[in-house]
Amino acid sequence: MKPGLHIDGFQVQGFGHFAGFSSALGPGLNLLYGPNEAGKSTLLAFLRGVLFGFEKRGQAERYEPESGAFGGELRLVTGAGPLVVRRLAGRRSEGELTVHGPDGDALPESFLRDALTHVPRELFFEVFAFRLDELSSFQNLAEQRGVSEALFAAGMRGARRLPEAVERLRKDVDALYAPRGQKPELNRVMRELEEVQRQLREVGDRPARYFEQREALGARSAEQQALEAELRATAREVDRLSRLDSALGDLTELARHHTEREALPPLEGFPTAGAARLDDILQRRKAYRAQQAQLAERLAFVSGELARLAAPWPVRERADLLRAALAAFSERAELMRGLPARRAALAAKRRQVEQGLGELGLAVDASGLLALDLSATARGELERVAGRLEAADTRCREAESARAGARESRERLEDTAARAETEHAVLPDARPAQVRQRQAAAARFRAARGDLERLGEQRLELRRQLDSVRVQGEPAPAQSPLPAWLVGVGVALALLLAGVAGLQAGWLMAALCGGIALALVGLLAHARQRVEAAQHAHREAHAARQRWRQQEEERLRATLASLATREELILRDLLGASSDLGLAPGASLADLAARETSLLEELHQAERREALQRERDALRTQRDAALRDEQRAEESFQLAGARSQSLRAELGAFLEARRFPASATASTARALWSDTAALRQRLQDVMADEAALVEDEATCHEAAARLQGEAARTGLPPGAVEAVAARIAAALEEVRTQTAEQRQRESSYHDLLADKALLDQHVRDEDGALELLLAKGGCADEESFRRRAGQALRYAELTTRARELSQRIEALTGLDDGAAREATREAGGESGLKEALDFLRERHRVGSERLKAVLTEQGALNNQLQQWENDEQLATLRIQEESLRARASELATRYAADRLALALLGRARRRFEEEQQPRVIQLASELFSELTQGRYRRVFMPAGGERELRVGDGQRDWTAEQLSRGTREQLFLAFRLAAIRDFGEKNGALPLIADDVLVNFDPERARAAVRLFARLAERHQVIAFTCHPWLRAQFEAEGACVRELSSSTARLPGTGTEP
Amino acid sequence: MRFSFVHAADLHLDTPFRGVASQAPLLNRFQSATFQALTRIVDLCLRERVAFLLLAGDLFDVRDRSVRARLALRRELTRLDSAGIQTFIVHGNHDPLSGDTGTLGLPSSVKVFGPEWEDVEVRREGRRLCRVQGVSYPDVEVRENLSARFRRTGPDFSVGLLHTNLGGAEGHANYAPCTSAELAARGLDYWALGHVHTRAEHLLAGGGVAVYPGNPQGRHVHETGERGCVLVEVEDGATRRSFVPVDRVRWHRLELPLTGVRSLDSLQVLARELVDSRCASELDGHAVRLTLAGRGPLHRELARPGALAQLEADLREQFAHGHPPVLLESLRDGTRPELDLDAVRAAGGFMGTLLTEAEALAHDDAALTALWHDEELASLGQRLKRLGVDALEAPRPELLARAGQHVVEHLHEETP
Repeated sequence: MKPGLHIDGFQVQGFGHFAGFSSALGPGLNLLYGPNEAGKSTLLAFLRGVLFGFEKRGQAERYEPESGAFGGELRLVTGAGPLVVRRLAGRRSEGELTVHGPDGDALPESFLRDALTHVPRELFFEVFAFRLDELSSFQNLAEQRGVSEALFAAGMRGARRLPEAVERLRKDVDALYAPRGQKPELNRVMRELEEVQRQLREVGDRPARYFEQREALGARSAEQQALEAELRATAREVDRLSRLDSALGDLTELARHHTEREALPPLEGFPTAGAARLDDILQRRKAYRAQQAQLAERLAFVSGELARLAAPWPVRERADLLRAALAAFSERAELMRGLPARRAALAAKRRQVEQGLGELGLAVDASGLLALDLSATARGELERVAGRLEAADTRCREAESARAGARESRERLEDTAARAETEHAVLPDARPAQVRQRQAAAARFRAARGDLERLGEQRLELRRQLDSVRVQGEPAPAQSPLPAWLVGVGVALALLLAGVAGLQAGWLMAALCGGIALALVGLLAHARQRVEAAQHAHREAHAARQRWRQQEEERLRATLASLATREELILRDLLGASSDLGLAPGASLADLAARETSLLEELHQAERREALQRERDALRTQRDAALRDEQRAEESFQLAGARSQSLRAELGAFLEARRFPASATASTARALWSDTAALRQRLQDVMADEAALVEDEATCHEAAARLQGEAARTGLPPGAVEAVAARIAAALEEVRTQTAEQRQRESSYHDLLADKALLDQHVRDEDGALELLLAKGGCADEESFRRRAGQALRYAELTTRARELSQRIEALTGLDDGAAREATREAGGESGLKEALDFLRERHRVGSERLKAVLTEQGALNNQLQQWENDEQLATLRIQEESLRARASELATRYAADRLALALLGRARRRFEEEQQPRVIQLASELFSELTQGRYRRVFMPAGGERELRVGDGQRDWTAEQLSRGTREQLFLAFRLAAIRDFGEKNGALPLIADDVLVNFDPERARAAVRLFARLAERHQVIAFTCHPWLRAQFEAEGACVRELSSSTARLPGTGTEP
Repeated sequence: MRFSFVHAADLHLDTPFRGVASQAPLLNRFQSATFQALTRIVDLCLRERVAFLLLAGDLFDVRDRSVRARLALRRELTRLDSAGIQTFIVHGNHDPLSGDTGTLGLPSSVKVFGPEWEDVEVRREGRRLCRVQGVSYPDVEVRENLSARFRRTGPDFSVGLLHTNLGGAEGHANYAPCTSAELAARGLDYWALGHVHTRAEHLLAGGGVAVYPGNPQGRHVHETGERGCVLVEVEDGATRRSFVPVDRVRWHRLELPLTGVRSLDSLQVLARELVDSRCASELDGHAVRLTLAGRGPLHRELARPGALAQLEADLREQFAHGHPPVLLESLRDGTRPELDLDAVRAAGGFMGTLLTEAEALAHDDAALTALWHDEELASLGQRLKRLGVDALEAPRPELLARAGQHVVEHLHEETP
């Protein structure tokens, strides 16, 4: 058990109706007994208020008197020694707290917190100091961090949210399946599965039905075949009789034709269509004869025209010569018309060339121009010399430009150097390094001054702490006021008293007196032992404080010595810095700042002077280089000029040798050369054109003369050459026209002769054909021939009609006319035939209808079979069934797993609750069982986050709400006692202060509770309040130290009972 | 003598794929996959010019009542018949003889074994190649050891065609149970077995071999990887067996560790890379169950309501448009918070107690059974059983351990 505290006594200066009340308390079991309104609850509030602060203003439990002092003090015995804790009204509502040691020294408030083992205010109020109405409030208790963490964090690891997990599992289970549910998924799947299986049952045994239908189809096929055979036979018979019926009319007509034909003479050899053929022959012969007359007239006309065209004409005879002369003339006619214009244009061109030659200024005429050497070699020579001259001129200009640039650069550098020299001369002569050294000295000076000031402050603080440590010295605690020998004296006196009593009143009295005396001595010894223990603790605390003070004083002295050494070093540094700066060691910070400013300016100037020096040297070097550049440029310029002169002279000589102006520049010479060459080319072109003109003029004159000569020889009238040419052309056209007409007439004449021969032949043929036709018809003239032809035509008609009728009868009946007549007779003649036909047709209709019905049935059966062969319904249903089975299996497995998980959770929970409850709960179980005399065997907290206590009696479990008020209060009291013990073992023993909490207990349980208080009081101080005498008796029976509070106690200052 | 044959089993034609919803975008590809697998088996037979094809039961599921399945079977076997290749069929627990309510004329070259053991000669070009023996399930539940009916009837190469659970393989109903020793005792050269969907070979004492080719098309996420049939080449009585994959869609279970992943965007990129790398085969499609695993900072974000579903929808959309397309069967969150359960247990407190209790319960059969048979769970289990769902038939201790961990993680996450 760790050391805690107990309240040794208290003094109320003003609290509620208490004023100036004080009392002492024992370290064990205490009972403050008093009637109602004696102030028990007030004292509980007082104790809680002094230790943890008064309630806020306006709260009923603040108990602030209307006037006078508010507050009081507690005397505490702690592990660190006695403390006096005083809390009085102050600015803050909780009051002003002061803590003192036993000798009156003020101590930090932390001494009190340490003594209370840092127990939170709320936890203390709920667990350690509580009223009856607070006893039943477990909710508050469970919400206190200290308790709840102790309860829940330690043992319920991992099950903090178990209820939510269980709830979720239950929800999952409910969502999966409910025995009588509809919506859960497994229910739904099973329902769907049942539906699919029902549909499968409806479908039935598909293969069996399939084979049944196939057999039915086979029977229908056989019937169909029989019906079809019968129908075919009937149809054949109907067809035969129908044909006979339809041929009856033709048979009658055929018989009539046979009779008429037999009445005519024999006409088999008479020409077919004889009358028409006779008419045709006669008609054609007449037409041929008319054509012969027309042809004779056309032959006479064509012969006359041919004689006219054959007359003689000179033009026709010389046509070829005339055509050649005319062609030669026509070829040159255009050329001849353009000759004057060409001549004038050539004269103009020659004049232009001669004018251009004069403008060039060359000392040559046209012939001289042609003699000039303007070859490519000469031109190349000119280009070479001119190019070299232009390059030399360019170099000359560049050299001149470079010379001017170098001169300008040199002059600019000289100006810059002069300016830098001037500025350098006015700056003071100092180096930057020297100035920086002085700046560093200023910084050291400032730092040393700062260090000295801080050292001074530290030294003052250390001295103050040293003084305070010295002041805290305290006298050694006094020795025990009750020496040990006094106990021996007491024993001796008791024995003496017993001896005296034995002598005077007998041994019984002696024993009685001796016992009483020894008891008194025992009490005395016990009291001395308690005092000795308290003083021993006090002495140990005093010795510890003394040791701490000595160590602290030594530490402070050592620190002060090191400060002095450091101060000396800093002073030495300060002196060095001040001499470097040229300031007195005691110079002010303002002087130091002014000196630092001037040093900064000096540094700038020194750095600028150094930079100017470097710039001046650089400028000098650059100016020397510029001067050298200028001299080199001058030399280059001179050289380029000389070269240019030499080349110009060479060009002049070249031009002069070719009769060009010697003074021409290179570009002028090039241009003059090009113009001269172009002019010479133009002159050469003009001369070639003039020669061609002369040649063309001679050719034209020759052609004109030839044309005139041919015209004269033909006899055509003379004239201008153009007119003669036109006349010749017209005569030649006339010759061509006459020749064409003559060829056409000759061709026509031959065609007419051929036509005449052909017509003569046709007339002869027709005459022969007429004779032959009359001979075939056996007639001598046309008249008799025409009469016999009419009889032959009728004979042919009858024959043709009879043949047609026979063919039709055969086509209708498939029989010749004789066989058809015989078949008709066999069928009973016309009437018998029609009756048989009607009978057969009816029979065929009935058979057809039956066949149709059979085919329909067959189609239906086929359709059904095909549907079953390709049926997806069954496969789909089976797939659905398998899918649903798989789904149901999966869901059922999940359902079973979840239910197993729930069952497992329940079992684990019970096991955990049995085996793994926190120690506080285990203690509470023991205490509650003792309180209820074993009626309830265990207290437990359900696994999970439900912060409630439950109890079990071995049969079932109960929540606190299900218990009677008294039992519930006993439960919570047992829990508090357990928590106090557990807390004491882990942190330190704190007192239990309970305000009349046993009033709802029956006497047995109250006695048990007081026993538990007494047992607790062995390690913890217990302060109980009650107004019930029977409870007082219980406490007294357990050896409680009872202090009475009367209703007037509070108003009587200083009248509290003393131990 | 040298010849070859193909051995396939458990075609389960036109049976639904588990985990592929009826609205899934790749549904058609999955629905046609079992048919295509059969077509590819027949293609293999034609290509290799085998002597015959063996189909060892569960060709279709009578519960599916699929007409298409039977028509497809007839169509493909007709192709074999046209090429002169025989087919031998036994029926298993999913397509027992009693469930065959109608007949569909199979080609004459197809031999369907009845409920009684039969021994058939296989001849080619007048020469006897081998003998094939077989027996079909008369009904769904056959608890008799049918292999006991088989026996060697001559010196020829002998094949036994049987739908059986050899060695009591887990995950499959224990029908027609037998052991390797029992099969070896029958003296046959090759046992063409069906029923177990995972490929396996059992070398038998005496030189024979019993082969499960597995099903030719995986139908759910527990049937991952390549699926196909076995091409058997026989020469002088010795067999050389080679597996030939014929599946057109393939299942994968992929795990994506969250360690170091900081954002959902990065997670999506990683998921795409993982799926692309594992689903590169040029098939008609792939189906993937993607499980996010490990501990990482994204765990908390994924635990938000709706976050996982949203991520799943996004990934499903992206995968479905890939090449080849991938169906995301489901996205599972197997991530854990950054929590050391051992440390939690060692630290005690409520969570330590919880973990200890969970472990204790998981090993306490009586307590677990009591918990499992709580009234609601029991009634739910019965209702599910009536619907054909056997999720709650027996206590599952692993759920308890997982529940303990989840609750601890839950509590841990809620700790502020």
